[in-house]
Amino acid sequence: MNPAILEIGPLAIPVWAIVLGVGMISYLNSAAILVYAERRIAAFIQNRVGPNRVGPFGLLQPLADVLKLLLKEDVTPTHGYKKLHAIAPMIPVITALLSVAVIPFGAGLYVTDINAAVLYLLAVASLGVYGVTLAGWASNSKYSLLGGLRAAAQMISYELPMGMAVASVILMTGSLSLVDIAESQSMWWNFFVNPLGAVIFIICAFAESNRTPFDLVEAEQELVGGFHTEYSSMKFGMFFLAEYMHVFIGSILITTFFFGSYHLPFADLYIPADMNIWLKGILDVSVFTLKVCFWCFVFIWVRWTIPRFKYNQVMKLGWARLLPLSIINFMVIATIMYFTN
Amino acid sequence: MLDSYFPILILAGIAIVLALLLMTLSRILGPYRPNKHKLNPYESGMDPVGEARERYSISFYLVAMEFIVFDLEVVFIYPWAVRYLDLGLGTFISMMVFITILLIGLLYTLKKGTLDWDLKTNKI
Amino acid sequence: MDYLGDLQAFLPGIITAVAGLAVITIEALKSGHKSAYWVTSFSLIVALFFGIQSLGTPLQEAFSGMLVHGGIAAFGNVIILLGTLFCVFLSNDYLEGIDHNYNEVYGMILFATSGMICLAGANDLISLFLGLETMSICLYVMAGLIKNEKQGAEGALKYFLLGAFSTGFLLYGAALLYGATGTTSIPGIGAAASSDLLFLAGAALLLIGFLFKVSAVPFHMWTPDVYQATPTTLTAYMATASKAATFMAMILVLSRALPSVEGLDWQAVLSVVAIITMIFGNIIALVQDNIKRMLAYSSIAHAGYALVGLSAATPEGYSAVAFYLFAYTIMNVGAFGVVAYYERNKGLDFSDVNNLAGLGFKKPMMGVMMSLFLFSLAGIPPFVGFVGKYYVFAAAINANMVPLAIVGVLASAASVYYYLRVMVYLYFREAHKETEMIDASFLYKGALVILALLTVYYGIEPILPFGGLMELITGF
Repeated sequence: MNPAILEIGPLAIPVWAIVLGVGMISYLNSAAILVYAERRIAAFIQNRVGPNRVGPFGLLQPLADVLKLLLKEDVTPTHGYKKLHAIAPMIPVITALLSVAVIPFGAGLYVTDINAAVLYLLAVASLGVYGVTLAGWASNSKYSLLGGLRAAAQMISYELPMGMAVASVILMTGSLSLVDIAESQSMWWNFFVNPLGAVIFIICAFAESNRTPFDLVEAEQELVGGFHTEYSSMKFGMFFLAEYMHVFIGSILITTFFFGSYHLPFADLYIPADMNIWLKGILDVSVFTLKVCFWCFVFIWVRWTIPRFKYNQVMKLGWARLLPLSIINFMVIATIMYFTN
Repeated sequence: MLDSYFPILILAGIAIVLALLLMTLSRILGPYRPNKHKLNPYESGMDPVGEARERYSISFYLVAMEFIVFDLEVVFIYPWAVRYLDLGLGTFISMMVFITILLIGLLYTLKKGTLDWDLKTNKI
Repeated sequence: MDYLGDLQAFLPGIITAVAGLAVITIEALKSGHKSAYWVTSFSLIVALFFGIQSLGTPLQEAFSGMLVHGGIAAFGNVIILLGTLFCVFLSNDYLEGIDHNYNEVYGMILFATSGMICLAGANDLISLFLGLETMSICLYVMAGLIKNEKQGAEGALKYFLLGAFSTGFLLYGAALLYGATGTTSIPGIGAAASSDLLFLAGAALLLIGFLFKVSAVPFHMWTPDVYQATPTTLTAYMATASKAATFMAMILVLSRALPSVEGLDWQAVLSVVAIITMIFGNIIALVQDNIKRMLAYSSIAHAGYALVGLSAATPEGYSAVAFYLFAYTIMNVGAFGVVAYYERNKGLDFSDVNNLAGLGFKKPMMGVMMSLFLFSLAGIPPFVGFVGKYYVFAAAINANMVPLAIVGVLASAASVYYYLRVMVYLYFREAHKETEMIDASFLYKGALVILALLTVYYGIEPILPFGGLMELITGF
């Protein structure tokens, strides 16, 4: 874990606890903020005004949404598998929250520095597929089942090019730890060195969080609600929460792997190495937050701009286009780097 | 090394507690008035036709099978990728041969249409 | 790491594997293209050439102790490649005839051959398992490749289930051996052998896994069903090359990893298994009407004869087994090849022996070759089958296992009945009706003729002044 300790007067608080607390709160809040942001930005894109009634500029809208969901009736279908039906929404939430532990929010601002952080993230993402599959299966309805299976097949199909794109990042960094990956981008962001990998990873991040254009498993015209048709009240709220957290996590991973994490572009050239710790911390966290907000905006922007794919198009894109492309990208980068060293 | 996983344990505990809290909160705060129509599975307002466990396409099974093969390839690539600059040329070529073999397998699979979801275009 | 030396050691395997990839690529890019067949044959000939080149060299390790090459492993490679080559020559026509000539078959054959070459030269439990599984999985696929026929799917499923189960036994035995000795290298296990329970259990389970693959009784239940359901030339490939590879692996493992420690009397176990295999294989074959099933049981019996040589546990015994495998390969491929020729003719179900009535005179050359192969299988001089059995039983007697040899000779005598029964139907019965017989292509007949000539030649070769195959093998 992060060995640094913050000393304020008589208190000695370990930094990892601070980062963990702040990180978790920001993850949970991000879902709320993103709900509001999505509706507002969607409105602006569609040339209308979004929610502006609840609180100033509609800023308390997420609170109203949460209260509404909490106070609704929790309808569990009979003949289903009640325990699985109850467990299934918990899994995406838990796996989304688990990823806060390895992400560096600034220089030295991380919870823990596992030396296999990338593998940990991929494992946690793979566990998220369980939630979707169990949800589809435990609701005793054919549409839910089909939606759940389709969502699961889509998510696992896009984990492969994502894994290969991340592998091409590891070639350049030489370490599986996210802290090292973030550190190594102080001069050149990985996007400049490996643009194809960045594009592939961005597309896969869209697919993993079931966002448009890959959201047919939950689009209303397709399968009603897909795997969360039979869920109501807070269980549906948890799927909702998990989806927006996945948008947030997707943006965080894109910035960490490819867009320099907390570094400004070409930061080595003008950032002094002995900058005040507090100033550097604030600078890092601000840059990081700005980048993540930009990518969340891109997620929302794409949703309201591009029509969604059909299912066979989704599968074809994942297997026939992205996977060979990511493998060849990996091989080319490995060869070039090996023979120029 | 193991103490670097300790915060993850704490985080997992907090996450599980949070999820359980959310679940029970809705049960406590919301009304509970089940009736027959609410408890039926949703089918655009009609009574459900047929069983819920209908047979589904075998392509799901094929996708899962292919996923296992290529995911294991990715897992094998990770340890090599971390230190490949220090290893010799022979290891590099071995790894490239490994990836090429799997790439040929992927090419065969794609050309044969096993991952096509239009079942009419069965080229086998 | 001596990469070039390693490449040279495994060269036949590398050639077949690369050819397999090429065939799969051809099939992917242009489905059904005929060039895949020529790529297969050419690569097998090249691999055979390299295999023969390494025949006289002593046994050396390669791949940092994972594989061996030279010596008896080279001879094993030659047997495997020879069997595969002839099966491929025969397969083209036969598979065309039953409308089944997919290029995937050739791809699978090449990959399975590569696995067999790895298996026959394994010096480590891990590479043993690797070769075994590569070979087995390709064989499972080949068994079930006939579409639209439930028989093939049934055979493939049976083979797969029982094969996977037995691989589980073998793997568990390997794990126990590793636990008992701390190494997976086969000479290392032999050096660290002890008589504690872990080692004995591991050795027993390993042996069970092997005995399944060579279809020894009581692990033979899959053989008749699988051999009957598979297309006949692919059955030939399964029955000969895979058995040869597994026996070679058994020789390499048993001679070095399981020395005679206290309580580990695997010779006694193997001799009992050999006796019941010979007895049961021959007895059940006596009542078979279907030629393919009869040949399947006969191959079980032949596995029993080979196990006799193996349980002798002397270098003479191992050389005898190697020669026996060579003899068994050429005569069995020939026998299955002629059966495949008869099967290709549409009309009656020519795998039933009653339907072979009178065909000996209609197609004289096929009849003569069938008789040749059947005489050789029965162990009648001057064919290679007799020489093989002679060496095996001589090795058993020299190792003081006389009951084994006695049972073997009696079983061989009993087997003459069902082999010659086919000849009786071919020559001494009236033909059913005017059935049209397709003429076999030149390549097909040529392959069978070469096999027949080899059968005769190696039958009389030990008494020829320039023979020397046995001396070649005993350089082990």
